[in-house]
Amino acid sequence: MGASRKNRQVYVTGMGIVSPAGIGVEATLEALRKEVSYLKPVTLFEVPGPGLPVGEVTGIVSRETIPRAHNLALQAAMQAVKDLKTPPDAIVLGCTTGGITLTEDLLRAGVTDPERFKFHGTGTVAEWLAASLGCDGPAITVSTACSSGAVALKLALEMVRSGQAQQVLAGGVDALCRLTYHGFRMLQVVDPMGARPLDRNRAGMTVGEAAAMLLLTGSDTPPKGAMAVFSGGGLSCDAYHPSAPHPDGEGAIFAMRRGMDDAGILPKRVDYINLHGTGTRDNDAAESKAILAIYPEKHPSLSSTKGIFGHSLAASGAVEAVVSILTLREGLLPANVGCSEVDPDTGVSPVLYTEKAQPEVVLSNSFGFGGNNAALVFSKHSTGARTERETHGQRPIRVLGSACISGAGTTDDTLNAFVSNKVAAGVLDEKNVTSGLPPRMIRRLRRLPKLALSMAEAAMQDTNREIQPFGVYVGTGWGPLSETYAFLEKLQRSGDKLSSPTDFVGSIHNAVSSQLAIRFKAKGPNITTTDGDFSFQQAVFAASLLQDESPFLLCGVDESHEPLSGLLDASVAAARVKADGGGALVCAPGRSGAPGPVLVPAFLGHVHSPDEVIRVLGGARAVQERFAAIFSGIPAAHKATAEAFLARFIEFTGFQGSVIRYRDLLGEFATVSAVAVVMAVRLLQDRNLPAALSGAGHDIPLQGKGILLLDLGANVSAVEVLGQV
Amino acid sequence: MDALKRTLKEKIIDTLNLMDLTPDDIADDAQLIGGDFGIDSIDVLELVVMIEQDYGVSIDSKELGAKVFRSINALAEYISEHRTK
Repeated sequence: MGASRKNRQVYVTGMGIVSPAGIGVEATLEALRKEVSYLKPVTLFEVPGPGLPVGEVTGIVSRETIPRAHNLALQAAMQAVKDLKTPPDAIVLGCTTGGITLTEDLLRAGVTDPERFKFHGTGTVAEWLAASLGCDGPAITVSTACSSGAVALKLALEMVRSGQAQQVLAGGVDALCRLTYHGFRMLQVVDPMGARPLDRNRAGMTVGEAAAMLLLTGSDTPPKGAMAVFSGGGLSCDAYHPSAPHPDGEGAIFAMRRGMDDAGILPKRVDYINLHGTGTRDNDAAESKAILAIYPEKHPSLSSTKGIFGHSLAASGAVEAVVSILTLREGLLPANVGCSEVDPDTGVSPVLYTEKAQPEVVLSNSFGFGGNNAALVFSKHSTGARTERETHGQRPIRVLGSACISGAGTTDDTLNAFVSNKVAAGVLDEKNVTSGLPPRMIRRLRRLPKLALSMAEAAMQDTNREIQPFGVYVGTGWGPLSETYAFLEKLQRSGDKLSSPTDFVGSIHNAVSSQLAIRFKAKGPNITTTDGDFSFQQAVFAASLLQDESPFLLCGVDESHEPLSGLLDASVAAARVKADGGGALVCAPGRSGAPGPVLVPAFLGHVHSPDEVIRVLGGARAVQERFAAIFSGIPAAHKATAEAFLARFIEFTGFQGSVIRYRDLLGEFATVSAVAVVMAVRLLQDRNLPAALSGAGHDIPLQGKGILLLDLGANVSAVEVLGQV
Repeated sequence: MDALKRTLKEKIIDTLNLMDLTPDDIADDAQLIGGDFGIDSIDVLELVVMIEQDYGVSIDSKELGAKVFRSINALAEYISEHRTK
């Protein structure tokens, strides 16, 4: 890369926010200056007894057929891109609840028309933004509970740093819904007085809602309208407990240190910390310990702003990024609203009244269930952070071990069926899924995490060596449906009085990645992506971007659930056989010359013509020469458009090799692509495409050639599975 | 009281899916939370729901929960004093 790239920084060039404090950045600033709380009793839905305080957004026009989160996100997005002439290159959104506000109403009304549920998916919010803004790049959704917004921003930062995108719209959104209101209530972590972070008498959090978006722009010099430099971000996982934070804040310390390292600064450079500061006894105690571990003598000015806004879950990291940038731009330190008597046991002293100051560098913490931690660094000027990575292209991922589950069984059974061109689709009996797992480990788990743990154990064994994974990347189209449905059903049956706290904790999309982290003590980045049929591909992209020198787990998994799978996924509804499962891979960064197999995520986006895909694959001739087979994912619900795209791809490239429509064999479910990748990896290890599968009437040796995973439908993605780097 | 204790042990095993335990494995005075049974904070909350449903007894704070779920003895005593079902 040329010398000019040395100064390339990622700038925040636009901001949008919709929160209980109002619509827009100015309203937010006003709220910070006024030092008031916007927490009020719930009105969005009826609750039995006195309503708990919540952070509700008021004054937005909602459309009945579009879920609330979609409306909130679009309003914030429009503010952030108002000065932009062309659509952003990509969107990265943190979201946990997707369209569940509407789904809750539909389920209660007994609606069974799948068309009405089309906005349920957590990934549909980012897709809605992409469609509304005309963005034809990737629209990635990160679902890591309450750290989602911050994790999404870190992923977007790496997209711009890598040069893959010049401008990325990124942030977070969550709408207040029964699931989160009652879920946190059942966990007994809601303060009936409203959140009082760091107060001696604090008694919990306040559930809220919001959307906040940043426009990130990569540039050598500060672009017009630059508001701050996005200097770095650190991610970690406690790998400790599904919902409780590590009591000493171990993961929080690690995330903050990694964030500061990434920004190229020492702790003393930080002028202000925006705390995660939910107001629960446990979070505030653990986070304070983490702060004191890094700052044993004097800590920077710090405050939690959740007493103002409440805890908007997946949005909170993005809301607090906006707050952090406002502290830099406006020269103020926001008050820790809600705290009247600081808890001396925490050992920290928050800013109690909004102060004038000139902070140069601020750090913003966001932690979530599953011990999922993120710490972001924003600064007025460049901090001398590590800038653009050396490669423009996607970094290859080397596969050290692989395993899968399909209706036919585990890896060998699936492979035997697949290479004989026999249908492996189905729902594997629970006994066979859990046969290798200790009963204690899975006693609280329903089907989805069991599938993932089982596959991951097998993939680890397949490496034939001791591996300590650091990162965990999971793609899931629909998340834990059994837990979500069980929670909502029991809640409704009890007249909204009770439901299972275990199911609530288990219902989050990153419940799977957190179980994997706990099982394998993986304390690095812990990312869950979701976007229907492209959920696993998004995990592959995220892993490629965020991987460092350490091994990691990469997994795609979905469960078949009655009745939700058929209601939510049109391809499942159209399928003759119910199917689920997924694939798990133990991976390491691919270095040149290293033996394979390797995955290279080549393309992800919304395109109608194959030209761009063929270009990134090196042209028509390269496609002919480099690949022996195409494994194509043609979801039943998108058959016509996907087949037309595939036909043009084959015509434009003149590809003569085998084309295998893997869903015909492996089944219709969102992350079946992960099973297809495991099949491709295994065939490359055997260096042979068997006759029954090749369609050529004979075995095809794979020496030197790879398999192209081409997934079509609502998006287009291309992942190269190659024999070596 | 002994019958209630026995029933509670069965309900705890069933609610928390402690498949490798039988009621006889849980001594009346054994530490329930954070002890050998591997019962943690989420489990306690799950038991709170069960107790409310089956006995009409509400345990609405972590502090009270920690006290009531100290042992089977403590739990049985609290339930028999406060039960409405």
